[in-house]
Formats: sequence, C-alpha cells, structure tokens
Amino acid sequence: MDDLLVIMVRGIGAGSVFAMLGMSFNVVFNASGILNFAQGNMLVLGGLFAFLLLPAQPDALHWFMFLPLVVGLLGLLLAVQGFITLLPLRSSVEQHSWLITTLAVSVIIGAVLLIYQGTAQQTVRSPFPAIHLLGTRVPAAYAICAGLAVLWYGALRLFHTRVLIGLAISALSQDLDAARAAGLRVRRLQVTAFAISGLIVGSAGYAAAPVMAIANDSGISYVMNGFVAAVVGGLGSNLGALLGGALVGMLSFYAAYQYGGEFQNAVSLALLVVVLMLRPQGLFGRQAARRV
Amino acid sequence: MVSRGNLTGMLRRAAFLAAVLAGIGVAALPARAQPAPIKIGEWLDITGGGATAAESARLGIDVAIQEINASGGIAGRKIVTVTADTQTDPTVGVGEAKRLVLQEKVDLIIGPVISQVLLAALPVMNDARIAQIGATGSELVTPQAAPYYFSLLINAESQAKAVLNQAEQVLRAKSGALLSDSGAQSKSFVEAMKKEMAGRNIRLTGAQEYQYRATDMTAQILTLKRGNPDTLFLFASSGEDAGNALKSRDELGWNPKVTGNYTIATFADALIKVAGKEALHDTTGLNYTAFTYCDPKQLPKPFTDFVAKARAFDAAASARLSMLFAATFYDGVHLLKEAIEASGGKTDGPTVAAWIVANGRNHTGILGSLTPSDTSHFLVGAEALSAVYPERILAGGLQQRYGCQ
Repeated sequence: MDDLLVIMVRGIGAGSVFAMLGMSFNVVFNASGILNFAQGNMLVLGGLFAFLLLPAQPDALHWFMFLPLVVGLLGLLLAVQGFITLLPLRSSVEQHSWLITTLAVSVIIGAVLLIYQGTAQQTVRSPFPAIHLLGTRVPAAYAICAGLAVLWYGALRLFHTRVLIGLAISALSQDLDAARAAGLRVRRLQVTAFAISGLIVGSAGYAAAPVMAIANDSGISYVMNGFVAAVVGGLGSNLGALLGGALVGMLSFYAAYQYGGEFQNAVSLALLVVVLMLRPQGLFGRQAARRV
Repeated sequence: MVSRGNLTGMLRRAAFLAAVLAGIGVAALPARAQPAPIKIGEWLDITGGGATAAESARLGIDVAIQEINASGGIAGRKIVTVTADTQTDPTVGVGEAKRLVLQEKVDLIIGPVISQVLLAALPVMNDARIAQIGATGSELVTPQAAPYYFSLLINAESQAKAVLNQAEQVLRAKSGALLSDSGAQSKSFVEAMKKEMAGRNIRLTGAQEYQYRATDMTAQILTLKRGNPDTLFLFASSGEDAGNALKSRDELGWNPKVTGNYTIATFADALIKVAGKEALHDTTGLNYTAFTYCDPKQLPKPFTDFVAKARAFDAAASARLSMLFAATFYDGVHLLKEAIEASGGKTDGPTVAAWIVANGRNHTGILGSLTPSDTSHFLVGAEALSAVYPERILAGGLQQRYGCQ
C-alpha cells in the first residue's frame, strides 16, 4: 500500500508536466486548430535555460529570479514560431502545412541541442529540499510542477472567461470565420495564443528541470505524453488535460511497478486507443459538429 | 624509296608522338604511385540513445586514422572516411548501411555500438562481405549470423560471468535482482544472468527494465525491493541512465549492494554528474583490466599514451568523452590495419575475418591479448575484466581495481 502511494504521488508529479504540455497544446489548438508538435523540445529548452542560468548549487532566490526570464524567453520564442507557422496559411483550419512546420521546428531544436551540447544529458540541481513521504524522498520538482499545473489551469480559466483577449481567443475556437467577420484580428490573437503556450511550456521546463532528461533526443517522449494527455482529456479542454496528464503519469508508473518497465510507455498509448474507441471526444471534450 | 624530306617529316612526327606518349606516361606516373585510398564507413549511432558511446568511438577512430595516414596508410593506401548516422534506429541504420555499401562502396565498416541496429542490417553486410568492427554485446551476433563482424565489447555472457564472479566471491551475495534498459544487449545480459545464476548459489528475486533516458526508475526499483535481494545487478547503456537508477534507489532509501556492467565504470563521469558521488556507495562496476590500476604510481602505458594522442587531436572532445571507449575503437582500427597488411592488402570480409580469428590473439594493442575464435567474434572475454570502484577515477578515466587502496 505504501509503495502504491509513493507511485501515485510520483505519477501525479510526472503527469503534471504532461498536463501542462496538454494545456499548452489546447491553447494553440483552440485559437488556430494547430497542434504544435515542437512543444516537447520547447519544454527541453526550458530545462536547458535552467541549466544555463542557475548555478551548480542554486538557492531559492536564484530560482525565483530566473523563472520569469525563462518563461518570458519561451513565450517570445513560441510567438516567433507561431508567427512563422501561421505566415503562409490562409486558414490554419483548412491547410495542414503546420504539421510539417511544427515538426521541423522540433527537429531544428533537437539539432541545435546536439550541436551545442553533443549527446550529453544536462543535470539541474533543485534548490528546494525533497519531500519526505513514507520513508522515501520525493523530488520537490514534482510538487512544484503539480502546483504549477493547477495554477495554469486556474489562470487559463480566468483568462478565457474574464479577460477581453482571452474571450476573443475563445471566440476563435468556436467559429474562426465568424470571429474574423466580427472584426477580430485573428492572426494577432493566434500569435498571442502561441506566446501563452510558450509561457506554460517555459515554466514547466524550468520547474521540471531537476527531474527531466535535458538532452537533444528527449523531447519526443514528452510531446507524445503531452499529446496523449490532451487527447485523453478531450482536445480543447484544459480540465481534461489537467486530469489526463495526471492519469497518464499515474498509469505509466503503475504499469511499470505492477507489470514491468517495458509497459511504461506502451500503457499511455493503449489508453489513447481505448479512449478514442470509447469516447472519441475525450473524457471532457465537446462533440464537434461535422460538415457533411 | 623514302625521300630525305619525307624522312625528316616522319622523324619529326615520330619525335612528336614520342614526346606526347612520354608526357602521358609522366602524367600517369603519380596516379600509379598513389594507390586508391581505403574507404572506411563510420557507421555509428551518432544521435539517439547510443550517441554518447558513438561519439567516444568516433574520437578513437579518427585518432587512429590520422596516425595511420601520417605513417603511410594501410598497405600504402591512405584511409578516407564516410560517416553514416544510424540515429540508434534500426530502420535508419539499414538505410545508412545500404548507402555505405551500395552507393559509397566502402571497403570496411566500423560501428555500430547498438546491437539492434547491427542485427537489422546484417543481411546487407553479409551480402556485401564487408569486414566490420563494432561494439555490440548481443548474444545473437554469432559468427554464423555475422561472419565478417567482430565486437570490441565484452559480450553479455562474459559480463554476466564477471558480474556474478564479483557478487559471489567478493560481495558474498546470496540473492539478487536485475535492473536493465530495454536494449537488445541488455536483454541478452538478463538471459545470460538468469542462466548463470541458476548454476550458482545466488537466488534471483526479480527483474525489471526501463526505457533509454528514463529519469525516474522508482516504480521499477520498488518492484525489485519487494523481493528483498541483498544485491542489485545493474546493466545500463549510458552513464546518465545508470546515474538515474542509483538516484532513484537512493530516493527510496534502499541500500542493497550494487554491482553492474562496464557502463557503470566507463561512463562513471556522466553517472556522477547525474547522481553525485554519494550515490555510488556500495557500488562496483566492471572495466577492461587494461583501463584499471592498483597503484596510482604505476599506470598502464598503452592507455596513457593513447590519452595523450587523443588530447593532442581534440582536447575539448577528449575532456568530454569516454577515453576508455575511444581507446577500444582506436585498437579496433589498428587491428584491421594489421589484418589487411598481413593479408597482402586484401580488404574483403572473408580474408580479414579469417586472419583475425587465426591471429587476433597475437595483437598487441591497448586492450592487451584478444580472444576471437571460430565460435565467438567477441574480441574481449570475461578474463580481461576487473571489478572497479567507479568513483575512483584518474585523469583519462583510469579506475582503481576493487580491493586496491
């Protein structure tokens, strides 16, 4: 029983990173219909910035000092990526060149990391002490990530319901053409959505750096799990991504514990298949009307 | 009757023709004096899970090639290289193998370091009858399956024997659990360990595996902890993975003795970077005896000489990469040179392989005596291994043998 509790706590911690990636997917998807597959490597970049900025033995002051810088940098980077991705598209919903563009950005980031640091994996020490749980130590990064995921969920909810720009972005997700006809500056709002997703991914990468593989080839695993979290929860639903991430994290840890490590990654993909078969719109997603 | 004028004209034409032919001959002379270079394919896992090891391997290969070219090449032929990245992906690896063999028409191939990449491309290599040296550990790579391929790595069976010798004779282990990654070599190791343990007085309490680049292995370790073994047998393919395994063990407050494969020793720098030296308590790894010392004042000269050459070649890469892995590939290139020169310059797979099997034992390189045979193309056996303290590292990566002070 103790083992299971430890696994669930760690699973939720690891799943929080997937949840933030899932929410980041949603922000961009709701505004543009684009799934940004570069987010796994953007997350790794967040971790890399933590490695570059923080001293070898960081303290809390340094950590809080550099957090806004990294978050801002990733926000800016994603805004630029969004602008470039959207530039050739007349309509992001009807054209699919974004699929290649976002994958290309991911490949470029991986290649730049390979040139910069070779194949090595960077390590970041946490300034915060581990949490003691049933005789074990749980990295503080897991707790911070879980807190951040909830924080981002709340912030996005407020943003989409109370803030004018947020409401406008929500309008895009309902009907892009109607929003354009109503005078909304669609392209600018979509780039803003990319920037917001950068803030989410940047904070996730920075916070998770002590428990992440900061390497040129690790982004793919994160983006896969983030995508599964978003789809299982229901694409477009941030509550779904929050719970989907935790579910993916817990299930993968439980599968490794109960059935063996070979099932750790497979179980999240199996979950994706099952959910898509039984409830294609995801656990919290809305059924979309389809033009026939 | 030829007139005098005609004769003069004929002589002029003959002289002109002779001059032209002489000119052509002179022009052709350098081409004859400069034989075609030997083309070596560096078929390595430059990106992906095997990249750390492959990068080190590449350094050793390049140092050897520079040295050989400076001294006149192999049998008078300079070496040129063609690089191919398998991306640690068998599908990509097969494509790159075909490019090297069919398009680039390489004479020899060096690499890979990942077993599943080699296994996938064996039909291509066998059809081309190309001599090849790599560093894979899977037991599936037999002389029947890969007649022209030799591995610089200790095979999984030899590592299993050496690990269990250390556990049984030194650590006095009575029970053990296995933790390994999901690679083909690791699976061979697990099978070999299970087989070996059955014949010894060490009870297997459980086995678990993790994916490359996993950072949290607590779920796997909790499962193994349930079996309450006194020793944990760790088989990793990268120092970072080994570091994360030991870090996870420490976070769970579990303290069995740990003994593991050569990665824990040869990539100890990366391991320590991830987990810290403190995570290596009660931990031993395996290393080639050629890369170990007992007395810090008496270091193995062939290895220290190689480290000096590697630093002169690329100081930054030498500081970052595993010199031990680089040295094994340096030795591998020299072994190929020796085989080709002793075979009258022939580079074909059957000739080179036959020479290595017959004469590999006499090769004197950094690794010491090699042990290829008709039944095994693994160049290094269990007798060439020693248990070491991974954290006791000297410059270049030499490690102190277990039991030495």
